[in-house]
Amino acid sequence: MNTTEDRKILEGIVAGNEVIITTFYRKNLPYIRQYILQNSGNEEDAEDVFQDALILVYQKLKTDSLDLHSSLRTYFYGICKNMWRNRLRKNKKMIITEKLPEDAEIITPTVIQDIEHKEREHVYRKHFLKLSDACREVLSLIFQGNSMKDIARITGYSEGYTRKKKFECKRYLIEMIEKDHAYLELQLNPEKGS
Amino acid sequence: MERTPEIFEKIEGYLAHTLPKEEAIAFEKELIANPELQEEVEKHRVLHKTLSDKDTLDFKEKLMQISATIKEEQSHPPAPVSSPSYWKIAASIAILLGVGMLFWYTYTNQHNTQDLYGVYYEPFPVEDAMRGNTNNEMHSIIKNYAKGAYDSVAVVLEKHPNLDSQLQLYLGNSYLNIDQEEKAASLFKDIKSSGKYYEIAKWYLSLTYLKLNTPEKSIPLLKEIITYNGAYKDKATRLLTALEKK
Repeated sequence: MNTTEDRKILEGIVAGNEVIITTFYRKNLPYIRQYILQNSGNEEDAEDVFQDALILVYQKLKTDSLDLHSSLRTYFYGICKNMWRNRLRKNKKMIITEKLPEDAEIITPTVIQDIEHKEREHVYRKHFLKLSDACREVLSLIFQGNSMKDIARITGYSEGYTRKKKFECKRYLIEMIEKDHAYLELQLNPEKGS
Repeated sequence: MERTPEIFEKIEGYLAHTLPKEEAIAFEKELIANPELQEEVEKHRVLHKTLSDKDTLDFKEKLMQISATIKEEQSHPPAPVSSPSYWKIAASIAILLGVGMLFWYTYTNQHNTQDLYGVYYEPFPVEDAMRGNTNNEMHSIIKNYAKGAYDSVAVVLEKHPNLDSQLQLYLGNSYLNIDQEEKAASLFKDIKSSGKYYEIAKWYLSLTYLKLNTPEKSIPLLKEIITYNGAYKDKATRLLTALEKK
């Protein structure tokens, strides 16, 4: 079922091709939005799930672990729906009564596990990208393993100021993450196996 | 657990395996005895692991940009906050006022003061002089303010010990946009009566009180703005009329 068109889209996603990703986004968001709005979600939830599912596909492509036995669209919709069901379960908005979801054969237990394990990462990433440019620059350099001395040289700050900035930005980031309701729900209902 | 630079440094050293052997052993002992510290270390570990994947972060950022572009195409956004010309700003406000007043006359009975806030509030625009600022940090603050990343602006500006009136206005507007009205009010009240930003501060203070649903505090301020006879006189007159009709 992996058609030439799907292959082109997958290549576009992994290469970060803006035209291909934008086309995929336009075509498929309405379906996911409708699904989420009909199942206790809002517009923001729909965008979050859509983007987080695309990130999962991207990461699987990067690590060569995408095992596609259906069309990309069916697979992608399956990930989005599972992700949303998972989030609803965590915030207790929905009691799952379905005996067997329609996508049970496409979305394997391994993929479901991946979805669960990535939940925390999505929250971390979302808040990091909301930081100021200066905070993002300093923290990115830290996360890439640079020393304070190197960061000070790259940014033009003094070493003392870099240290202070790193602390303030990181503390703020952690506080923002801790306040996120999705994070709180993850704390109350920890991911299996994490 | 209180977060301090020293604890952060120690956790980072522990995770990067750069602590001297004795310090690492002592830290591990402390870790076993202190569940709160264990939690904190775990947060740092996931933070470093997740955010060191720059490719995924860049991909997420791309998706956010694509989403913003699609949304922009689908809606008709108001005139950008960053419009540098006074006349463009004035025209946008006039249009907003027109739409606002029409809305007001149609649904007057259903309105409350917070609706009026929505109609009259426009973020204080970025000024040309600030745009050309060569200071890295200030440039980044202005950029974040212009793109609406108000929480980031607030976190940086509130750490500055001596904000000038213009930066106080940016911080106050950021507070208004992240629902911290009390902090906004105290900033606007602080702006010196001798400077050119005094009238602007009064205007935003009156809007802050509207947002707080205390129009009785807005009214004297609006009267003061009208007497001041400056750039905000017209807007203040219209808003006062609307409030007095309620």
